[in-house]
Amino acid sequence: MQRTPVEPEALPETPAGLDLSGITVRYPGTRADALADVSVAVEPGAIGGLTGRTGAGKSTLALTAAGFVPRVVRARVTGAASVAGIEVLRAPASDVLGRIGIVFATPANQLSASKLSVREELAFGLENLGVPRSEMDARIEATLDRLGIGHLADREPFALSGGEQQRVAIASIVAMGTRVLILDEPTAQLDPFGTTLVADLLEELARDGSAVLVAEQDPAVLARTRRTTVLDHGQVVATADPAVALSPETLEPTGLPSPTIVRLGWMAGLEPAGRFDLDAVSTRLAAAATAGRLRSSVLANEPNGPSATEPWASVRDQAPVSITIEGLSHRYEATALDAIRDVALTIEPGEAVAIVGQNGSGKTTLVKHLNGLLRPSSGRVRIGGEDIATASIDEIAGRVGFVFQSPDDQLFERSVEREIAFGPRNLGLRPDALARAIEMAVEAVALGDVRSTNPYDLDLSRRKLVALAGVLAMDPAVLVLDEPTTGQDPLGIRRVGAVVDRLRAAGRTVVAVTHDMEFAADHFSRVIVMTRGEVVLDGPPAAVFAAERTALLARAGIERPVAARVGERLGLGSTPTEAALLAALSASVH
Amino acid sequence: MTAATGYFRPGHSWLHRRHPLTKVLGLAFVIVAAFLLPPIVLVALLAGVVTIAWSAGLARPLARALRIPALLLLSIIVVNALFFPGAADRLVAIGPVGLSREGLSFGLISAGRLLVAFVASVTFLFTTLADDLLEALVARGASHRVAFVVLAAVQMVPRLQARSRSILDAQQARALPIRGSVIQRARALVPLIGPVVLGSLIDVRERTFALEARGFGARRGRTAYRVVADPPPDRLIRIGLVGAIGAVLVIALTGIAR
Repeated sequence: MQRTPVEPEALPETPAGLDLSGITVRYPGTRADALADVSVAVEPGAIGGLTGRTGAGKSTLALTAAGFVPRVVRARVTGAASVAGIEVLRAPASDVLGRIGIVFATPANQLSASKLSVREELAFGLENLGVPRSEMDARIEATLDRLGIGHLADREPFALSGGEQQRVAIASIVAMGTRVLILDEPTAQLDPFGTTLVADLLEELARDGSAVLVAEQDPAVLARTRRTTVLDHGQVVATADPAVALSPETLEPTGLPSPTIVRLGWMAGLEPAGRFDLDAVSTRLAAAATAGRLRSSVLANEPNGPSATEPWASVRDQAPVSITIEGLSHRYEATALDAIRDVALTIEPGEAVAIVGQNGSGKTTLVKHLNGLLRPSSGRVRIGGEDIATASIDEIAGRVGFVFQSPDDQLFERSVEREIAFGPRNLGLRPDALARAIEMAVEAVALGDVRSTNPYDLDLSRRKLVALAGVLAMDPAVLVLDEPTTGQDPLGIRRVGAVVDRLRAAGRTVVAVTHDMEFAADHFSRVIVMTRGEVVLDGPPAAVFAAERTALLARAGIERPVAARVGERLGLGSTPTEAALLAALSASVH
Repeated sequence: MTAATGYFRPGHSWLHRRHPLTKVLGLAFVIVAAFLLPPIVLVALLAGVVTIAWSAGLARPLARALRIPALLLLSIIVVNALFFPGAADRLVAIGPVGLSREGLSFGLISAGRLLVAFVASVTFLFTTLADDLLEALVARGASHRVAFVVLAAVQMVPRLQARSRSILDAQQARALPIRGSVIQRARALVPLIGPVVLGSLIDVRERTFALEARGFGARRGRTAYRVVADPPPDRLIRIGLVGAIGAVLVIALTGIAR
């Protein structure tokens, strides 16, 4: 693949920023370069973005820029890397410390795990740098103040939400005095609210003169970058304004879908500068449609287009079942608070239900009752008419499959195929049925090329797909998914979406807890909104994401999908998906 | 119990305010005395540690913490009472099985020693913040890195417990039967233990990087943020405890008490 910079521009000298040029990295024992001749620069006061599929080389680049490759992670590295005025490829740890900072994806892994307060967490790095005790308090206060997290100072780090923890992790690095901050997918594990908090913080740091390099998938973060570099197979595809870098034509060679807002702007022929602006996109979209000049999005790897997926074929002759929840409440012993209160729902066979709401709204507590992981404090759960109160989890598992948020709580086999076979084997599937179940599951999540690989040699995104396949192979009548899209790249999200569509087409029931409203609108027939343990909205996506629900959704911490908001601006009625939006748009023109 | 603080329960009792090393010595004294002194002392030791825990406001958490070990201790008493090898003095006999006096007394003593050690250890963990212990040890010349690694390992325990619960849930949801015959249960161990080890290794990589990023590997003179209070009476208590441990050792080794 050739380097084809879409918007070439001369970069200023960046003595205190970040300037990597011609970086090539190869890890020992591998045959391909993890990075091949990659150049990236970020000047002080700017945010630089880095995007691409998982495995494209983003983490390697981040680790190299922070001086971790080759000092901590061994690799053969060529090229030049000047970061914060330091030649990081050759610099000893003592030079890098306190000048270049790096933040990783999982908030909890970055806290020192022993501190009672955020203040002490921030002190940890200062202690290691040997900062005199008398200076510590002032530096901690200044950092808390500068990053706007003073209100967290005396909180216990582990009691914070993911978004808050990630801001504390960033503050802990910034407190050490770093002027160049590198972040490796800092929002991958966060909900939309947490993502916005982190994105705001990065802008704050840049405003203050730091150089920030962020590897990301989320357009909400990438939109705030001055330039974004797209990587694929270790090579630079383009470095450009984020609206250009994320446009369908730039992303085409990577196979990544373009974010909805950018794609709509691109289809309407909008200048890059306006492609993250909802009003500009809406106006231009209407004009382009009226003039008949809407670009086709075929090139755009359109996720909502007509899919050629066929219905899921049954291995175990599962009859579709309904789920009935009656007066369900659950109280956790530890907190003595009702996590869910008096929930009553009927889910018909073949329905695909997305449950949305803020952290702590009771979504996961609710779905954990569907296979007996939690037992009702009061009320009843019936699967196919049968009360499951006395059935054990492994008995229910034959009918209700549950995919957990973290795959690492279940993977243990030495190959992907054996891992997938574990569940169906427990169900006692005969060899021929077992083979067929594995085959279907592997194919459904496109893991064919890694079937004999150890799951732990795969990235998080694919480990999650292995866990999903392991439950699919059990061919359950009901599939429950807990946050299937967190930690996934856009391609992984599409694969999960296709699985939901196929099960739905086969009359299976799917229930998913998700923070991703586009995912909910695109693949589910019904959306349930929860707030403080209660169901506050319940209906098809078009009803739940309608304009008149905006205020109620905002109280539940939910922002409607981009397509719904554009449709509202254009007076097209409720258009929760891009397909619905484009259909309404073309209908309004004709 | 939260992951951040291990078993520590924040509080301001007189026991919380003791210097960590004072409490380490206290714990050592109780354990040494329980195992080396004649069994009759156990009654006094148990009364002592329970009173200390109660006076520090820990009666309720202590009772909760005892629920599972209580079963173990009970089984030690029952098994020894019924199956003590070579028992002569049978109180009740049913066929080959019989309740023996030797067995009962051995079981009671063993369980009593473990109980005292357990109550003392839990009381120590409840009232001592790992970080304070670390700073106290480092201030007395321990290697900062070694101390940190040891304490981080201790603090992993509650986190691993929480993970084990998630793993148990996840594998049961994949139809893993965890009841049934001994063979079935043994078979269930691999899928339950595998993810604990493998999943932790994934975390370790990121954790190591994060610690490195925070300057943990820096070879610079380290400073400390926390100031661990060492109130004047503590020095006296520590001298007393060292003397008491010495006395116990002397008594045990010379056999004075026998």
